[in-house]
Amino acid sequence: MKKIFRPTVCLLAALSLIWAAPVIAAKTIKVGIVDCYSGPPSTYTNDVRDAFKLATDRINAEGGVLGRRIEFVTRDSKFKVDIGLSAAKELIMREGVDLLMGTINSALALAISDLARREKIPFFATFSKSAKITGEKGHRYVFSMNENTAMAGRAGAVGLAKRPYVKYWIAGDDYEYGHAIADGVWENLKKLKPEAELLGQSWWKVGEPDFTPYITAILAAQPDAVIVATGGRDCVPFLKAAKATGFNKEVPFFMHTATELSTLLPLGEEAPEGVLGTSNYYFYYPDTPQNQAFVKDFQAAFGRYPKVGALYGYITATFIARAYEKAGEVDTEKFIDALEGMIVDSPVGPLTLRAYDHQVMFPMFMGVTKKSPEYDFLVASEIVTIPGEDVMPTVDEIKKVRGE
Amino acid sequence: MTTLTLSALCQQLLVGLSKATILFIVSSGLSLVLGVLRIPNIFHGSLYMIGAFMAYTVAVAVGGSAGFWVALVAAPVGVAAVSFVIERVLLSRLYEREHLMLLLFTFSVALVLGDLVKMVWGADYRSLSPPALFQGAFDVFGFPFPRYNLFLLGVGPLVAAGLWRLTDRTTIGQIAKAAAVDREMVGAVGINVSWVFAWVFIIGCFLAGLGGALVAPMQNITQGMDHSIIIEAFLIVIIGGLGNIWGALLGAVIFGLTDAVGILVWPQFAIVFPYVAVVTVLLFRPTGLLKSTW
Repeated sequence: MKKIFRPTVCLLAALSLIWAAPVIAAKTIKVGIVDCYSGPPSTYTNDVRDAFKLATDRINAEGGVLGRRIEFVTRDSKFKVDIGLSAAKELIMREGVDLLMGTINSALALAISDLARREKIPFFATFSKSAKITGEKGHRYVFSMNENTAMAGRAGAVGLAKRPYVKYWIAGDDYEYGHAIADGVWENLKKLKPEAELLGQSWWKVGEPDFTPYITAILAAQPDAVIVATGGRDCVPFLKAAKATGFNKEVPFFMHTATELSTLLPLGEEAPEGVLGTSNYYFYYPDTPQNQAFVKDFQAAFGRYPKVGALYGYITATFIARAYEKAGEVDTEKFIDALEGMIVDSPVGPLTLRAYDHQVMFPMFMGVTKKSPEYDFLVASEIVTIPGEDVMPTVDEIKKVRGE
Repeated sequence: MTTLTLSALCQQLLVGLSKATILFIVSSGLSLVLGVLRIPNIFHGSLYMIGAFMAYTVAVAVGGSAGFWVALVAAPVGVAAVSFVIERVLLSRLYEREHLMLLLFTFSVALVLGDLVKMVWGADYRSLSPPALFQGAFDVFGFPFPRYNLFLLGVGPLVAAGLWRLTDRTTIGQIAKAAAVDREMVGAVGINVSWVFAWVFIIGCFLAGLGGALVAPMQNITQGMDHSIIIEAFLIVIIGGLGNIWGALLGAVIFGLTDAVGILVWPQFAIVFPYVAVVTVLLFRPTGLLKSTW
């Protein structure tokens, strides 16, 4: 008797594990995040992931969604399209994820978006700024959880048009993001202020060590204002050179990301004052109880101030949870139907996911860099809120680029 | 196109020279190693990056303007120490291998060092202030010229003079030059070639660290600094003549000046100017401007 007892128990235990496995798996909603966690972009992407974790931990602690926990796994794309795309495929095939999210790299976001359309897996783009994602390449299975170059361009133009500048100079990173931002600002500015005149442009390669020669060249041209279209790591040295040469005192300039914490924090007191910038989020603005609570939770969990990526990660989790609740069951098509036009609460107030192009309608905050008595780095001051409707391309414009 | 004024051009030439300083310091180290050890050191750029990060850490730890000066000495020494370990533990066993193997080896070390930097310093951007003495700008030809760039203009000739003394006036410099020509003969007269190589390698890497520490107050200290510098440094070494440190000086000046002038005269396509200069040099002098030691 004893001889067969042990094998039988083992067999039963093994069988019960096999049977139980799908049951356990079915109890979760699984999100696969592909993003660049190595190299300079990780200063932005870590916040997306951490805030997503913060939000899902809370949702799970409150009993999850439809009785299921939201789980996530991450893969490092190393900023490469091929690595990221195969990671996304692996997440679908092997991990069996219900949803995909991530990528600060727009080219990769577009590649995953295409995969998402074929596999019918919803994909939430977080931090990829190409307007094509929800513009000409948009479809039913892709959602953008951040502002894009078209929105930033429009916001910059709206802010600049109110100022008395006529003669402009454009300078920026010589890659897609830089050109897209510059074109976005300039095209919209010409519409709002037809007398605006472009004196010239300078383009530098990413990682330029010294911006002094560019600044001399711009000063020699004597523009009224400069549009600086730089995105990631070059913001810091450009602002340094601007401060060292006193450029910010000679010529006013707009730099989309100049007021973001990721740019201003490393510079400390060394950042130049009076630089015009736009952002979707500041941890100190809007000064509402919702934002204060979010900042407090994020700081408690990770020991740092949340940057703009944290907002993207947080609202992605919120949209996912609310949409499943509204759909009433875990069904992809019903989930998407529920998402379209959905409004959720966020640290920056209610946010709408526009039904037609799946773009979250973010308000844009435009501010001017200024020293602050409270922090040992500069903050945005004189903040003006440009509502989401004013910075979004219209549905008709989206239809036009999609050829509909 | 901008209206070209003479003062803007003069100012731009000065700025170009100060940019050439960093390029010269980094590429002379690369050239030295290439000339004597015959190793195309891909991780030279990584050491430059580590130099900048070390300078940041030391400067912040010491604090104030003194922090920068301490960092300026400590960071290159720290980089030299790292390179000493790499040379003794790994590289010294590989000198007899063919170039392709050495190239692959230095490339893999570059990847390892890149990841190490990520583990030690993380992904956030870092920024270092220049010392109070060199903050702000002078007015030169009616344009602002950062004081820190003026400091660089002073450092360049000092480093060049130091290198000249080292290679022409010291025993180790003489032995190194001889070993570059005929390694076996130098060994045959009773000199420990292995240690000579180690010294030359450390000096070359020290220069990479010095370049990184000098660029730290101007740059965003971040991962990826290594990639941008190493390509430029190799181009400079190639147009100057492989292994010739005076060639590196000449190459760096050409690179820095064409870059600065390009930005002024044709800003939209300024990026191509230094590369056009490289191509032009190679068309007329395929082995570089000065005599290559290869």
